[in-house]
Amino acid sequence: MSNPLALLGRVATYALLIIAAFVSVFPFLWMLIGATNYSADIIKGKVTPGTALLQNISVFFNSVDMPRILFNSFFIAGVGTALTLLISSLAGYGFEMFRSKFREKVFGGLLLMLSIPFAALMIPLFIMMANFKMINTYQAIILPTVASIFIIFYFRQATKAFPHELRDAARIDGLKEWQIFLYVYMPVMRSTYAAATIIVFMANWNNYLWPLIVLQTNEMKTLTLVVAGLTSAYTPDFGVVMVGAIFATLPTLVIFFLLQRRFVEGMLGAVK
Amino acid sequence: MTRLSTGWKRAAAVALASVSMFSVTAASALEITVWCWDPNFNGATMKEAAERYAALHPDVTVNIVDFAKADLETKLQAQLASGTTDGLPDIVLIEDYGAQKYLQSFPGAFEPLNDKVDYSGFAPYKVELATVNGQTYSLPFDSGVTGYFYRSDLLAEAGFDAAALENITWDKLIEIGKAVKEKTGGTLLPIDPNDAGWLRIMMQSAGSWYFNPDGSVHIADNPVLKASIETYQRLLAAGISKPVAGWTEYTGSFTSGDTLSTFTGVWMTGTIKANADQSGKWAIAPLPALDGVEGATNASNLGGSSWYVLSSSAEKAEAVDFLAEIWGKDVDFYQKILVNQGALGSLLAAREGEAYKASDEFFGGAPVWQNFSDWLSAIPAVNYGIFTNEADAAVVAQIPNITSGGNIDEIIAAIDSQVRQQVQ
Repeated sequence: MSNPLALLGRVATYALLIIAAFVSVFPFLWMLIGATNYSADIIKGKVTPGTALLQNISVFFNSVDMPRILFNSFFIAGVGTALTLLISSLAGYGFEMFRSKFREKVFGGLLLMLSIPFAALMIPLFIMMANFKMINTYQAIILPTVASIFIIFYFRQATKAFPHELRDAARIDGLKEWQIFLYVYMPVMRSTYAAATIIVFMANWNNYLWPLIVLQTNEMKTLTLVVAGLTSAYTPDFGVVMVGAIFATLPTLVIFFLLQRRFVEGMLGAVK
Repeated sequence: MTRLSTGWKRAAAVALASVSMFSVTAASALEITVWCWDPNFNGATMKEAAERYAALHPDVTVNIVDFAKADLETKLQAQLASGTTDGLPDIVLIEDYGAQKYLQSFPGAFEPLNDKVDYSGFAPYKVELATVNGQTYSLPFDSGVTGYFYRSDLLAEAGFDAAALENITWDKLIEIGKAVKEKTGGTLLPIDPNDAGWLRIMMQSAGSWYFNPDGSVHIADNPVLKASIETYQRLLAAGISKPVAGWTEYTGSFTSGDTLSTFTGVWMTGTIKANADQSGKWAIAPLPALDGVEGATNASNLGGSSWYVLSSSAEKAEAVDFLAEIWGKDVDFYQKILVNQGALGSLLAAREGEAYKASDEFFGGAPVWQNFSDWLSAIPAVNYGIFTNEADAAVVAQIPNITSGGNIDEIIAAIDSQVRQQVQ
């Protein structure tokens, strides 16, 4: 600290970090404050808490069938996440643990498919779902996401750190292959699963374009669709929109904080 | 581990049960599904119409589904492009600027209503914009008929009353703006540099558009477009405007008294009247006309939308009958939606009703709806074509040049070439 240059550098670093923190936190703060203000005040740029919170909440709950919408969102995100983790981790495990002549070619093909934008797949997928008579169903949203190439890739990378000796020991102990996956691999890789849970749950919860295309009725809509609908009115009630935004953000925040420690471990690829 | 696996089984069973429970989507025999985008505006008017129709036909229910407007367009476009008619609604709301795009890109997807609806009763420009090859496909809904909204109290301080603003031209308005600035220091207009609404308003007021009636590009050799941009440059150069960024700042500017007026669609009435403390301090004049342009009028349009029946609809006959019976004839219905939602429909006969004849104390006791209705019937019809949004984007790209006083011929040439590139 005796060196004035070092002190200056430290001050500059903190100033920069404080600005960066402010920029990333301010939208959340604005959302919370906005939920307590009347729309007219929000438009005028009021940044102090107001008194309209209860009114905004009651308008929101009166205009939105919240239990049903929340159920839709949680059901799609929850079931979608569970199935994605199961199927994609099994694929990632398989790609790493079992050798085959075509393994790398198939995997390379999969990775190439990552580069196709969803907008290009949307219409064929819609036609497919229409032929399966699955328009406006939960399956139509969940099924296309369960084999996630990114999550397969993620699990394959993580599996590289999974000790093969564990598998060999389990085989000697007489476990079948599916038992090894279920009782040895899954518990060992729980940090990886935790990190993947956050990623997949967030992607499912915030999924927008595909549910928009395939869901047709008010009863089937997800929370993200409902909140987007609130903002597009000719005279949007921004206070109510903020209440909706809080509800749409909360679940991912909760899940993140619950799994935070494991998330960091999982990202580092730890095997315990 | 066994505990875990039974838990899994139970979860899976619940999941499957609820999937089959909620995936039942088959509609009852006579349900008309409608897609629209603002539950407080077009959704609410549709609900009112549905209640009226249900009173006459108890066997028909109307199911209103609302999406964000851009979302509705994405959805409609994707589903029409997929060629499958599963999940399409029976009636859909389409913004007027996009009508020709849908009608021409998806021939056969929408149902012509000429046999069921008497179009002579509607504002001619609304009928024209939904007509392809002599067939009209829409039931015209809300109009964006324009007016010049101004603070009568503050303009009166500078010596300008309603008579001074009646059927003026833009150059006259610029003079007024300068005089107001000199006498009271007030700024006349807010201008959003990222919005090309002013150009659409000015062009249509003289019966012109980016496109000819046959759909071909009409920009480089369009005298009305040139006169509009010149007028806008004069307006900016006069120092009577204030730049604003985005919609909320724009509306905030004149509702807070920061600027004294604006020219826009009739739907702004609600936003202005939301400021109850300004009652009696506002007035509405006709839109200023372009100077020295053939066919210039004091009437124009900004925005607006119409209802369309999908040809794939299983309840097509009922859907058409519903639109024709309520939206096509019911004058009383139009009074109700004018009062409750501030929706100015396009049915000209509606002006004979109570609500349309009422005067409004907020606007100094003027018969504002009779006035808007007069202007509505005078709006020149133009062909919005398929590429209005693309042309708009080309104009917005040139706005910095327009604002900085650039050469108008070069600006127009640039707009023209960008539009032609995209239209090909």
